[in-house]
Amino acid sequence: MSDSLCVLPCNGLDKCAGDLSRRVAQEMAKSEEVELICPVLLNQNKSRYEKALEAGSLTVIDGCNTRCASKLAADLELAIKEKVNVSEVAKSLDIKLGIEIREDQDTQAVIQAVLGKINSSAAEQVESEFVEPESVEYNTFSHGKFIFKVPKANYYFNENDCWVTVSGNMARVGVSDYVQQNLSDILYVDPPEIGDEFEQFDDLGSIESSKAVFEIVSPVAGTVVAVNAGLSDAPEQVNESPYEKGWLVEVRLSDFEEDQDLLHDCPAYFEFLKRKVEQIDV
Amino acid sequence: MLGNRIGVISCSGEECLGGTISRLAVRKMMEELKPGMVSTLCLPLFIAGDGGEREFAEKYPTIAVDGCSKCCAKRAIEKYSSAVAGSIDVAEIIGEAKALEKPLSTRYITDLHMEYVNQTAAKTCEIFDEILAKQ
Repeated sequence: MSDSLCVLPCNGLDKCAGDLSRRVAQEMAKSEEVELICPVLLNQNKSRYEKALEAGSLTVIDGCNTRCASKLAADLELAIKEKVNVSEVAKSLDIKLGIEIREDQDTQAVIQAVLGKINSSAAEQVESEFVEPESVEYNTFSHGKFIFKVPKANYYFNENDCWVTVSGNMARVGVSDYVQQNLSDILYVDPPEIGDEFEQFDDLGSIESSKAVFEIVSPVAGTVVAVNAGLSDAPEQVNESPYEKGWLVEVRLSDFEEDQDLLHDCPAYFEFLKRKVEQIDV
Repeated sequence: MLGNRIGVISCSGEECLGGTISRLAVRKMMEELKPGMVSTLCLPLFIAGDGGEREFAEKYPTIAVDGCSKCCAKRAIEKYSSAVAGSIDVAEIIGEAKALEKPLSTRYITDLHMEYVNQTAAKTCEIFDEILAKQ
């Protein structure tokens, strides 16, 4: 993992949140290890930042949910290590930012919270309790130029193409081979917070490629105990190994027996996916 | 925001002091000199292609305020919309060497910097008034 960091703020001028993205980036850039990337110059002349981006990981700071900085990074196919949204942080603090650009206690509190979020990532991660299987065997089918693989056993799927595999009371959640092929090169995984409690079919973060954002719909209910930290440096593992190294979230299950009623086992998902692929003519 | 019929776009301004000045000048124009008369377009949003910014710059005269001779704002308007109605290069107002100094947080702005902001904002207002007079 590299020590240097590139920070890409949206730098919006017409909303307070955009201005705060800039102020956070400037605070970060006080460190010599941090290179501040101007979004507009990056768009105009990517080569200006090529060396810095090759040497360091990229943190993106979006001001609002238009997510201009994220979109720019995706358009340029830049791998993102971490992403923060100023408006979401402000909302979590119950602070309204609005249009007017201002420097007061509220905006300073938001800046500090965003900086804290960036500094504390993965700090709460505990050692994994999940027991990995020695090997996973697959069934495959082809459609046109695509070959899709589905594990032969021990995985369960919802109809949103998200899987869960269980070890005692622990489980891992990820996305199917079908999802990763649809998204193409995955650039960023936005995991949930450790400790989050969620119900079956709740959102459990998202993954992004230059083509689309895919919301992860949880196949089970439970509590997040770990996220796959390796994906922050190598999100492409979801493409390369969607059922094994590319797992997304580790959870403590609430009631898997009940959740299972609404999931497909491997043979059923294999048939479901074949029908789906034929219908939408991938 | 887009109800007014003249637009102004500042460069994003992270490469140099000229960028800091251009952003502050556009804000001054929007908040103090021409309040309610100018549509400030967000350049990152303009580049992302959302929010109606490109469509505005195609339909209505838009002024680019750039921090240095890279002219990122002007080039973006010309690339994604149409010719600019007017353009400012802060480096031509405060000098190339000064404009290429490191960008500043607004917290560290001095009186001299504010003078640069005032000059840039005044020049942008001149162009604004010329465009308005022709409408």
